[in-house]
Amino acid sequence: MATKRTMTLNLTDAEMNALEELSQKKDLSKTAVLRQALRLFQMVDSRIERGEKLYFEDEAKKEKAEVMVL
Amino acid sequence: MSASVVQIIRRSDEASVDAKLLGGIKPTDLLVVEGEWAPERSVVMQELLQQGVSRDKWPQSLHWDWRKKSPQLKLLESAGYGIVCDKRWQGVMLTKTASHFAMLDKDKGKPLVYVDYLEVAPWNWVIPEIGREGEFRGIGSLLFWRAVKQSQEEGFYGRVGLHALPQSEPFYEKGCGMTPVGRDASKQNLLYFELSRQQAERFLKEGD
Repeated sequence: MATKRTMTLNLTDAEMNALEELSQKKDLSKTAVLRQALRLFQMVDSRIERGEKLYFEDEAKKEKAEVMVL
Repeated sequence: MSASVVQIIRRSDEASVDAKLLGGIKPTDLLVVEGEWAPERSVVMQELLQQGVSRDKWPQSLHWDWRKKSPQLKLLESAGYGIVCDKRWQGVMLTKTASHFAMLDKDKGKPLVYVDYLEVAPWNWVIPEIGREGEFRGIGSLLFWRAVKQSQEEGFYGRVGLHALPQSEPFYEKGCGMTPVGRDASKQNLLYFELSRQQAERFLKEGD
């Protein structure tokens, strides 16, 4: 595994609650949740930079909405 | 790049041979891989054409080009592994860790290691129709084992998912103990397989 560096993270109560909820729901450590979020954000950003679009689709309702990523 | 010593089997005399299992391979490594493999792919294709082997019996990764897959390794969610023996790349695998989630009921929605591509070198392909017996075996299993270990290291409990080429379906179902989940219309109708955390434990135990 690659060398790791430590950082201090300041989160609001709401952010910490969300992190704890995701950590529990996904069965991951809080560090792993944040690592996954970073990977996902980087992947989405790189695809949008290539001109691709991100959509959420509800097959049951036949709805499709583009997610605007800034 | 990380390296560990593993054993693969030389088919000619069934001897165990030391090989290096490499992690953290870079986009430039994939250029080398394709540089080594492309000429052999061409030879295989010529032999298949000369022998008049029907297309359904051709190796289904014959058209792959690892040079085109190399940009993927620039992303944090991607990882590359390879096996080197006799100073040649014997097999390569690319995995993803953030864009695929478990579909099996018990762990549905939880992250897993997704095997995006796994291929062994063309000189290791077994193609009886043109008398090819393959130089080494055990490479695909070792790479799959590495994916399961990666999943454990990531905190994903060994969960692994992949879409298999039809010729590889028996390997993943019987050889690796994965569950066939269903055909995926968004992935050329390939069969999606998943290894649950319980199956991962069994797979690793049997491999010991």
